[in-house]
Amino acid sequence: MATIIIMPKQGQSVESCIVTTLHKKAGDTVKKGEVLFSYETDKASFEEESPVDGTLLACFYGEGDEVPVLDNMMIIGEPGEDISVLSVSASAEKEEEVVTGKPLPAISRDHIPALETQTSHAGNLFISPRAKKLAEKNAVPLSQLTGSGPKGRIVEKDIMTYLTDRPRMTPLAKKVAAEAGLQPETKGTGLAGRARAADLSASVNSIYGMDYEDRKLSNMRRLIARSMHASLQNSAQLTHHLGADARRMLELRKKAKAALEEGRMMANITLNDMVCFAVIKALKKFPEVNTHFLGDTKRYFRKVHLGLAVDTERGLMVPVLRNADDLSIAGLSGQLGELAAACRSGSVNPDILTSEAATFTVSNLGNYGVEMFTPVINLPQSAILGVNTILPRPKDLGNGVYAFVPHIGLSLTYDHRSLDGGEATRFLKQIATEIEMLEIEF
Amino acid sequence: MIDLLIIGGGPAGYVAAERAGHAGLKVVLFEKKAMGGVCLNEGCIPTKTLLYSAKIYENALHGDKYGVFGDNIRFDYEKMISRKKKVVRKLVSGVESKMKSNQVTVVKGEALIEGRSAEGIEVSCNGEKYNGKNLLVCTGSEASVPPIPGLREAEGVVLTNREILEMTERPASLVVIGGGVIGMEFASFYNSLGTKVTVVEMLPEILGGLDFEVSAMLRDIYTKKGITFNLNAKVVQIAGNKVVFEKGGETHSVEGEKILLSVGRRPVTQGFGLENLGVELLRTGIKVDEKMRTNVPGVFAAGDVTGFSLLAHTASREGEVVVNNLTGRNDIMRYNAIPGVVYTNPEVAGVGETEESARAKGIAYKVARLPMAYAGRFVAENEGGSGVCKVLVGEKHGEVIGVHMLGNPSSEIIYGACIAIEQEMTLKEMQEVVFPHPTVSEIIKEVVFNF
Repeated sequence: MATIIIMPKQGQSVESCIVTTLHKKAGDTVKKGEVLFSYETDKASFEEESPVDGTLLACFYGEGDEVPVLDNMMIIGEPGEDISVLSVSASAEKEEEVVTGKPLPAISRDHIPALETQTSHAGNLFISPRAKKLAEKNAVPLSQLTGSGPKGRIVEKDIMTYLTDRPRMTPLAKKVAAEAGLQPETKGTGLAGRARAADLSASVNSIYGMDYEDRKLSNMRRLIARSMHASLQNSAQLTHHLGADARRMLELRKKAKAALEEGRMMANITLNDMVCFAVIKALKKFPEVNTHFLGDTKRYFRKVHLGLAVDTERGLMVPVLRNADDLSIAGLSGQLGELAAACRSGSVNPDILTSEAATFTVSNLGNYGVEMFTPVINLPQSAILGVNTILPRPKDLGNGVYAFVPHIGLSLTYDHRSLDGGEATRFLKQIATEIEMLEIEF
Repeated sequence: MIDLLIIGGGPAGYVAAERAGHAGLKVVLFEKKAMGGVCLNEGCIPTKTLLYSAKIYENALHGDKYGVFGDNIRFDYEKMISRKKKVVRKLVSGVESKMKSNQVTVVKGEALIEGRSAEGIEVSCNGEKYNGKNLLVCTGSEASVPPIPGLREAEGVVLTNREILEMTERPASLVVIGGGVIGMEFASFYNSLGTKVTVVEMLPEILGGLDFEVSAMLRDIYTKKGITFNLNAKVVQIAGNKVVFEKGGETHSVEGEKILLSVGRRPVTQGFGLENLGVELLRTGIKVDEKMRTNVPGVFAAGDVTGFSLLAHTASREGEVVVNNLTGRNDIMRYNAIPGVVYTNPEVAGVGETEESARAKGIAYKVARLPMAYAGRFVAENEGGSGVCKVLVGEKHGEVIGVHMLGNPSSEIIYGACIAIEQEMTLKEMQEVVFPHPTVSEIIKEVVFNF
């Protein structure tokens, strides 16, 4: 009895997922627990494992396809088994679409060699048989040619002209060009400038300059694009920059490291943890900032739900640490670490990634040496703090003594609809003060 | 202002001078010894002359196999040496007249690079100063002499390629340290003339870098001819006529009237003011790019001095690349189709990837091989002789990437394989080429159809 593999539903808000990699293709034998395919939602990526042993009989979608959740994705069974009933028995309304729209694409794709696809494409062109033969022999990309014959028909002369214009190619280069659809670059490196196989590159249309490829955006990229653009379009944001004396922080970091090494402390408290801790304290003193701006109302939160921007291979993620104001710095450090790791491994719960879940966000680029930037607010939050690298700055230490003192840069972007400059500045100043006065018990 | 100054009149220098002069450039070439360099005076040409004498002698001795008998067959070593000198003289004067006919000024003397100024690169020689827009350094290489204990004390017994060619008498016994191309050619020569020859090689096989299978076959042939081979043997001392070496944890020694030191060659980068230009070195040679440019604008290097692919034909081509780019023709140096020939009897010739190098580079290849006896002409002319021809092609497209042969006259056949590799010909094209019949070259066609 064949088993149907459906696209799982990950989280309540997810309606469709994008297939990133097919690890098995139709005809492969699979074992229980082996990964069948990888897919991603807006925010995270997952792998689907086979529930049974058997042979993959059919795969209804290809890599890059967007698949509605709970829709049939694959069928596993015994070779030769009749699966025609199964493959059409997806939810009734989608029945037609599955049958006509996706007729076992994985199977058919595997059986058409690249060369045939190209010639069949050429078959649709208006071309003389002689020209076609010559073009095939010399790997001429017909789609780039304009015919000079009657009604734009491509004739032998057009191919000849093309051949004299492009660098001469070695037999191997011609073979590779025909199979992979490549063309020589302008300069060949072989005998008398002849193009060798190594000189080939993807075909470039000299008129339109198509020296690029179009790739579909991942679901996650699309979502980031939409929300970032909406943020700049729909709010009045601006950024204030300020530096905080980082001597105390650096001193505490040293102590934290020592405490960790000596086993007196379980958490590895980083500079970022300290900044977040200071931000939470400041937010408690500035309830105006710990808000969502909702057009004609403003929502004041009693608790601090802190969003932390995390850079991952798939793109930016902002997981939320709920009730962050209840945590000690050691607890905060541990939980932030776990959240970041979950994002990077792709195992994070999508529900804590929405911008509504956080009341305020911290984005730290200090590690990368960024000196100043203007973070973009995750609407409907009222503000976001950008954390910059630590740089030495001259400071008046009193009694006419000036010295270079390490300062950490803070960049606060706020929505002017929600906050005014004075309030934002005082809040930013408060963060700096909290950083400068930070206390940690070891 | 001179367009091109060339230091060194070997196969890189004189070919570059000839091409540049022909293209109308004003060229001055400095040579401290004799035109033609090591190749013509102490290398390729004199050894091939002697090896041909040895081959004729060997053929005469074994003429009975072909139904030809001769009595009192003997050789005259001095006659051989004097003929060698005549051949070299003739070819050197040939190079000199080429220089003349291409309007190249040849300055005989030691050149010294003084530096560069607004007037260009300055080179002095014999008290005169020359300013050039460009400089081509092709000072070649010299036999490397490793610090083996007792080596200096054994002067007169230990010889390099230079001294051994000057000998007027054949030694009764010869120990060859280093079984590379140079070592094997001298070993072959003296073996043919009846000298007791012993080869001491540090690596597991002779002719390092060549196809392993072919090298092993050649070693078998020469073992039968009477040469003793000591592989994996590290020379630790030279005591007069004795070479002491370690092999498998034991110490052995072998005695020879003469000892040939042929353990490789070292680029000559000192003694002519290269440092005055700040030219960058890579390991021991001059660092160059694919157009033979050094790090200093207008300064080029070609030939053995680059420390890479130490072959006369590589040198000439490198010199040509320099001149082509100077005269407005875009050209780059390719090393994937440089042939290598060993003029033993039978000869070894190869070009491109060997199975070993293809594996090391991770190239997916297919290989086919046939005994030379598949070529009728080979059977006709090599009574009791054996040989092999191997062709390597890329696995997916079947393009020729390497050809390796053992058997006479593979040195004259291998260029066909060079063209195939340069052209990136695939088996399909090779199959359509007509080979003359009956020739030994047909073996390539046979192997091509054997895939």
